[in-house]
Amino acid sequence: MANVRKYKSRIIKVEQPVSNIFVVTLESLEKRFKFKEGQFLHLALDPFDPSKAWPDSRCFSIQTSPEDQHLKLTYSVKGKFTTRMATELTEGREVCLKLPYGDLFQKAHNKKNCVFIAGGTGITPYLSLFICKDFSEYETPKLYFGVRDMSFHIYQDEFNKSLQINPSLKINIVNQEVEGILDIEKIFAENGVEPHYFISGPPAMINKFKKSLLIKQVNENNIRTDDWG
Amino acid sequence: MREKILQLVKEYYQANLVPKKFDPKTDTIRYAGRVFDEKELVNLVDASLDFWLTEGRFCDQFIEKIADFLNVENVILTNSGSSANLIALSALTSKKLGSKRLMPGDEVITVAAGFPATVTPIVQNKLVPVFVDVELPTYNVEISALKSAISSKTRAIFLAHTLGNPFNVKEIVEIAHENDLWLIEDNCDAFGSKYDGKYTGTFGDLATISFYPAHHITTGEGGAVVTNNDELGSIVKSFRDWGRDCYCAGGENNTCGKRFTQQFGTLPLGYDHKYVYSEIGYNLKMTDMSAAIGSAQMDKLEYFCNRRRENFSLYSAFLSNYTNYLILPEATENSDPAWFTYVISVKNSAPFGRTELVTYLNEHRIETRNIFAGNMIRQPAFIDQVFRVQGELTNSDFIMNNTFFLGTYPGMTKEMIGHTEEIIKRFMSQF
Repeated sequence: MANVRKYKSRIIKVEQPVSNIFVVTLESLEKRFKFKEGQFLHLALDPFDPSKAWPDSRCFSIQTSPEDQHLKLTYSVKGKFTTRMATELTEGREVCLKLPYGDLFQKAHNKKNCVFIAGGTGITPYLSLFICKDFSEYETPKLYFGVRDMSFHIYQDEFNKSLQINPSLKINIVNQEVEGILDIEKIFAENGVEPHYFISGPPAMINKFKKSLLIKQVNENNIRTDDWG
Repeated sequence: MREKILQLVKEYYQANLVPKKFDPKTDTIRYAGRVFDEKELVNLVDASLDFWLTEGRFCDQFIEKIADFLNVENVILTNSGSSANLIALSALTSKKLGSKRLMPGDEVITVAAGFPATVTPIVQNKLVPVFVDVELPTYNVEISALKSAISSKTRAIFLAHTLGNPFNVKEIVEIAHENDLWLIEDNCDAFGSKYDGKYTGTFGDLATISFYPAHHITTGEGGAVVTNNDELGSIVKSFRDWGRDCYCAGGENNTCGKRFTQQFGTLPLGYDHKYVYSEIGYNLKMTDMSAAIGSAQMDKLEYFCNRRRENFSLYSAFLSNYTNYLILPEATENSDPAWFTYVISVKNSAPFGRTELVTYLNEHRIETRNIFAGNMIRQPAFIDQVFRVQGELTNSDFIMNNTFFLGTYPGMTKEMIGHTEEIIKRFMSQF
């Protein structure tokens, strides 16, 4: 993980595509954001005084590509902090970010055989990879994306861009209202022990899927999880 | 109140610390020294008023400036360049590197004519230094000797850019790649030097920098490891910070969100990640006061490097009159050194020896230094140590007996170098 930098940033766009889901776009007020695909950031709402400790903050996956000038993140309102975010994060508001964190895609993995599993907003770290030009190096990557219902599938633009970069990407969208929750047994049956499995989503899903793959003799080094919190 | 204090600090600098004009009758010409103005002093006091003490905002600033200057992803500050060398090499012993990790008994190629801090980490990690000779007049590794030193046990190359003069990066990077060897650049004496238009310290797997007062910039005591390999960067940081697995900075908690949920070894599930140790590490961090000085010094680095180059040229202009007696330094092909010093060797055929010349210079208050340890294997510390020598160390022995250097640091003025010229002229007139 590269050196963490602190960025004074401004919100340039806030979207609310579904009930309690918000998509926020930010610009840096100083230096250009530096990060790699799949990494996450800390966002603080209170002002940051560099001579004092970093204020209370929360982690969010970066869903934009490192090549983009702006940062985009998605959050759902779940607790006190995100409730504050929903109230306070408006266009023009300044916030402090620190990044990058995480190494989801930085450790060596077989780009010829990757399976990406995402539940809900867990898709976001993958988007930063999928819309990055380096994604063209992956051979027939497969995505299994579980959404509560199709109104929660708010990333079609990103998927279209991903397919332009890598037409071999196989996208399986699982409408959980109709088809039931993402099924790791089915995913494993379709892919076997060989691939590198990436899992991102609610902690309970990550733990369950990882355990299941380990039981099925998938090498632990071939299972990467985005489970920062 | 802080503003008042900092204003007074500026006034204090102007009243007490502005360099005085050189007086050849009384002043000593140092081989190196701190060059600073009120900005370093203000930063230092500012940091002390924060009383954050350990890594804080000035470390952040300093790290960013180094990272931007070298265009590297990872900068890990340390309390010295020697510490940087120690943890750079130690990092390569990490289990996290799998079959690429260095194991006791593995060989690391280095040169015999250098500074101990490049070599001692090899010994301290139970690895075997393989000493090869250097070439004149670059004082850098002899490529053919390095090639012939590679054995089935060789796993790494650890070399300094001698006195600011880059080693033959192209050849050495190729050798490292062809033989799957780690390459550590000891860039302690060469911060700001360039090879093929790119800064030294950006070619190897890892590189180190020193901020000791004699170096290109200073923090008093201080150093850094730099790398573009994120995994190595994390391992180096772990070695620096007691060997701990957690990467949170001091005063931070749970930045990964997994502080209490992970399983490590046979520790209980969820054992506090802040107290999980994955390496046998040290505590070699830099203080925020040191970094505050370093941050101000970084703004002067380009200027400092150019001053060193100018001083080098001034020496060459008059010392070229004595090439019948002296060997003068030459930049490695395709390089632009930010010269740490001006290195001179007295030819065996000269009617005087090095001792006579440096004694004369020092008697006239012109400081000189040897190329550090000379031939390392002749140092008492290396008696009974396990090492291997490949080929002859003829030039290393020659350097030990015949070579010394003069300062090129940015505080050295034309008047000082002019005075040095006059003294050397007087010395040479005896022969």
